[in-house]
Parts: sequence; structure tokens; C-alpha cells
Amino acid sequence: MDLVRRTIERYVNLTDADWTRIGPCWREYAFSKGTQVCAVGQVEQRFYIVQQGVQRLSFPHDGQDVCVGFSYDGSWCGEYASFISRKPARFEVLAMTDTVLLGIGYDDLQRLYKELPAMERFGRLIVEELLQGRATREIEMMSLSAEERYDRLHARSPHLLQLVPQKDIASYLRMTPETFSRLRKRRS
Amino acid sequence: MDVNTMIDELIMALRKQIARTKEIQQMPAELLLKRQAAGQWNTLEVFEHMNLSSGVYARGLAKVLAGKADRHPANAEFKPGIIGDFSTRSMLPEADGRIAWRMKTLRMFDPPKQHGASSDSLTRFIALCEEFIRLLESARTTDLNRLKVVSSLGPIIRFKAGDAFRFPIAHQQRHFLQIERLLQGAS
Repeated sequence: MDLVRRTIERYVNLTDADWTRIGPCWREYAFSKGTQVCAVGQVEQRFYIVQQGVQRLSFPHDGQDVCVGFSYDGSWCGEYASFISRKPARFEVLAMTDTVLLGIGYDDLQRLYKELPAMERFGRLIVEELLQGRATREIEMMSLSAEERYDRLHARSPHLLQLVPQKDIASYLRMTPETFSRLRKRRS
Repeated sequence: MDVNTMIDELIMALRKQIARTKEIQQMPAELLLKRQAAGQWNTLEVFEHMNLSSGVYARGLAKVLAGKADRHPANAEFKPGIIGDFSTRSMLPEADGRIAWRMKTLRMFDPPKQHGASSDSLTRFIALCEEFIRLLESARTTDLNRLKVVSSLGPIIRFKAGDAFRFPIAHQQRHFLQIERLLQGAS
């Protein structure tokens, strides 16, 4: 639970009094490798922080999984759009390795937003951060060449290349596994 | 064997399993994910395996008890079937606590080859045990020799309803030994 407090305090300061109300709302959830954290069509029940493991966010398209992102130690996890809208998830979240997530339910989080100004601000700041990430990725996908996309990822998240199957990273970078493999050989 | 004694004993075994599962739910997630070796099940996967295999019997029993129980008057005696009894007995550990003959898991009951396992697997296991208890209570008024349930060994082999209770609960008992070893980190 220490991780939850540290993560929130990257954005806002919490008093001990705040924390006694926030801490009990979070619980540990374990997922074995290969298990869905959230399935397409089900409503996401929780917002997570990753304590351990790597997860993949993807959506099914033409019989394949199109990978749109990964989460790992210290990052957010879950099908956020479904969590917020309370509508069926359009993305799948899959544990790629044995995974421990710290999660909070929708009602608890909304209540904390209402009761604690610091939490309300935290909520705004993480959404702003997520939005910036989406904008950057959109530009990268539309304007960069395959080679440039590979280099950006390699510079930003080099560890990912060790953690995740190549076909998922290739899908994430919107290139064929063959192109990915060729680029990787050239760069190493 | 006397049906009511058998039912009482099975309910007691299930209550113990539920109580232990509730304790395990409070244990750290990392412990529940621990494997003795790569490729071997962790505690979550053992629970999900029990959900998958015992679920076959719970569904089968629910169906026959709801549908055909009224056709047979209560019978105070239960005489296990040959295959059902052999299967149940083979689940019991040896006198020294070792597990007798290991078997290869069918793909359909192997969580890593199905949909995996998570903390939810424990929640669902408790619900499954509670369902068995409800079914056992409702089974006192019928004849567990006459009702038949498809076994997890395949649709050809059908167990007497009494064995369809005894086998999965003994099978769970066996897996609790495995779980305790996993949680202790012993070999």
C-alpha cells in the first residue's frame, strides 16, 4: 500500500489524515500469467496501480489483437474508459506475466474525489497526463516512419523489449513482426 | 454407508475448506503467485483448477436434483459405484501423507491453458463450496444411488450422485495438501 501513497504523492501532497481515508479503499489483486484483468464486453470494476508484472492493453480486430499499450511497475492499469463510463470495455487487459495490482473501486474513488480536494486534483492531473500521452502517441503513429517509431520506443522504454513478446511490440508499433525483427537486428 | 452421516461429513469438510480459503485470501498476493518451478501451478491456479473440475459436478448435481430428485424416495443407504468409489479413494493421500499416483491434468481443467487464474478464483471457489453445501442439504430427501451425473472423466462415465459429491470434495482435499506445500514453500 506504500506504493499507492508514493504514487499519489508524485502528484499531490497528502496529510496522514487524508491517507487514513484513502489507504483502506485500495486492495491487492493477483493475476496469473495469461489471465484477463478485464475482458472485452465486461465493465471494468477497478482502477489499478501496478505493483508487479507487465500487462497488455489491446482490442480485437479482424481476428487479431491490436496492441495499444503496456503497463508495468508503478504505472496505471485497467480499462479506464470503461471504468469511468461504467460501459462495457472495448479493450482487453491481459497479464503478460504473473501480476500484482493495487486496485480501487469506482464508488470509493468517486467518494474520495468528492471528500478530499487533494484527491480531486490527483484525478485531474492523471487524466491530463494520460491525455498528453495519447496526443504524443497519435502524432508518432501518424507521422513517424516505422524506423523512427522503433527508435522512439527504444529510447523511451528500453526494458519493454525484454519483457514483452516481439509480436505484441510489433503490433503496438503498427508494423509487421518481420519489419520489427529487421529493425531490431539493425539496431543491436 | 449411511447417507446422512456421509452428507454431514462432506459438509464439514467443505466448511473447513471454506474457512481455510478465507484465511488464504488475506495472504500477500506475491505468496499466492509463487511457483515451485517454472511451468508449475501457483496457488491461484490450483484454486481455479478446482473451480473448473468441481464445477462439472456442481452443475450436473444441480440439474438432476432440480429435475429428477422427486422421482426417487429418500434412501438412507448409499452404496458407492465401482468407478466412483475407486476414483474417490485414489484421491486420498497415503498413510504417510504422500500423494498417491499423480495424474496428468486434462487440458480443459488446466488453468494456464484456459483463462488463467486470479484473486477472483478464490472468491469463486468459496461460492462453489457453498453451492455444494446447499446441494448436499437438498440431497437428503432423495436417492443418491438412483440419480446419475456425468463425471469429469468424460461423458461416457457417469457417477452415482453420491459419488458426484464424494469425488470432487476428495479431489479438493488432495489439492489443499498441494496448496499448503506451496504456501510453506517446501518441496
